[in-house]
Amino acid sequence: MTPGSLPRALVAEATNPIIKWEWVVEEWDQIWQAVVEHVTLTMMAMALGMIVSSLLAAIALRYRWTMTPITATTSLIYTLPSVALFALLAPVFGNLSRWTAVLPLAGYTLLILVTNIVAGFQAVPPSVRDAADGMGMSRARRVWTVDLPLAVPFIVTGVRIATVSTVGLVTVAAIIGQGGLGRLIFSGLRRAFWTPMTVGASLSIILALVLDAVILVTGLWLAPWQRRRKGATP
Amino acid sequence: MIAALASLRPSQTAVPRDIGFVEWFFDADTWTGTTGILASLQDTVILCAAVTLVAVIVSVPVAAVLAHLRRAEVSSTWLVSISRAVPTFAIAALLVPWSLARGWGFEPWPIFIALLLLALVPIYLNTYTAIRQLLEGPVDAARALGYSERSILARVEFALASSLIFSGIRVAAIQVVATEPIRAFLGGDGLGRYVRDGFGQNNNTLVIGGIVLIGGLAALTGLTFVALERLVLPNGVRRLSRQQGDTSP
Repeated sequence: MTPGSLPRALVAEATNPIIKWEWVVEEWDQIWQAVVEHVTLTMMAMALGMIVSSLLAAIALRYRWTMTPITATTSLIYTLPSVALFALLAPVFGNLSRWTAVLPLAGYTLLILVTNIVAGFQAVPPSVRDAADGMGMSRARRVWTVDLPLAVPFIVTGVRIATVSTVGLVTVAAIIGQGGLGRLIFSGLRRAFWTPMTVGASLSIILALVLDAVILVTGLWLAPWQRRRKGATP
Repeated sequence: MIAALASLRPSQTAVPRDIGFVEWFFDADTWTGTTGILASLQDTVILCAAVTLVAVIVSVPVAAVLAHLRRAEVSSTWLVSISRAVPTFAIAALLVPWSLARGWGFEPWPIFIALLLLALVPIYLNTYTAIRQLLEGPVDAARALGYSERSILARVEFALASSLIFSGIRVAAIQVVATEPIRAFLGGDGLGRYVRDGFGQNNNTLVIGGIVLIGGLAALTGLTFVALERLVLPNGVRRLSRQQGDTSP
């Protein structure tokens, strides 16, 4: 805790400017590569998370008693310390494997995604469901053409929250040598050269906001009635 | 790259690589001394407790008053969406140069502020929704009995909402404890340093030790709060929250 225990070089370098724009221009390739890696890891984790949580949500909706254990398990996964989880999987898959980062990241999305998918399907008005049944739809057809579209706004909300939090967590995966922009943060920290650190940290926050906006717009495009209703209700 | 990272601080936990986990973990020397587990544990616990305490002191009164006045509903729903998305690591990293430039060192401010932002949201949200969703009946009854607005908030709303408020504090504390180990990778110490030093020295004993300690403390935090809840909250309030279906993780 005491400043005296810090390596002297680092304290001396503390007067480095927070950002040097020449470095950003010079090293743009490296920065862009980190962004691409960051997005890739996020996408892989989200894809895996969506697959697993869709299955879990389907089970929870079909067999109601499984809801409690599923929520309990995903909550437990959600509270696992990220540093410990990445460290735990590093020897299993090896530092160089993407899966070491993707598996924990996907695990952290489950709670949010399952909760939102289930909430979305449960929010379908019973009258709509009855109407679909009354029209003679099969169960599968009703789920795909009636329940799912109506649940889209909830699912999109879940995907937004999960994506934003995954983008933040990907930086932590840099401790096992993965982690896109997180690696920039570490390379800056190691050399007490703040530019990569500032760039990595700010870009990861900007990336989260951009992805959030993209998913929000996609959601409005998938379920356009949300916008109309907002204007109609007081 | 990982080895270079660990050299950020002089390694304080030099352990021979061929020593087994059990032998290392159950050796008294591992635990005592200025670089022992107990010292790291103390670092971690003090920081986490301070963060949670400050978060409670800031969040609970603000949320309670706003909820009582029925204010800030839009911003509170907006908070829901960022509650799980605070990028602690990036925030702490951004604050490190700022802290160093002021001569405050790596610790504790960058990680403290980043963890505080993480902890504020669940406590604020739980307090706000807990008070906001109470039935009108008891509040109106208290008002009719001549309670002042302040005592309605303190003695009726706060009391009825205490269980949910408490679970917000529990969630925040668990998240803080689970996130705190990143501090070791930002020039700090705490329990995370066993993972960091283990990577740095390519020593699995230390890494496993770190995982066990970090995981153990997180589990212990959860259990402590469950026990506290039983101890502090009246039975009726706890039953009430079960009926309301408290689903916070």
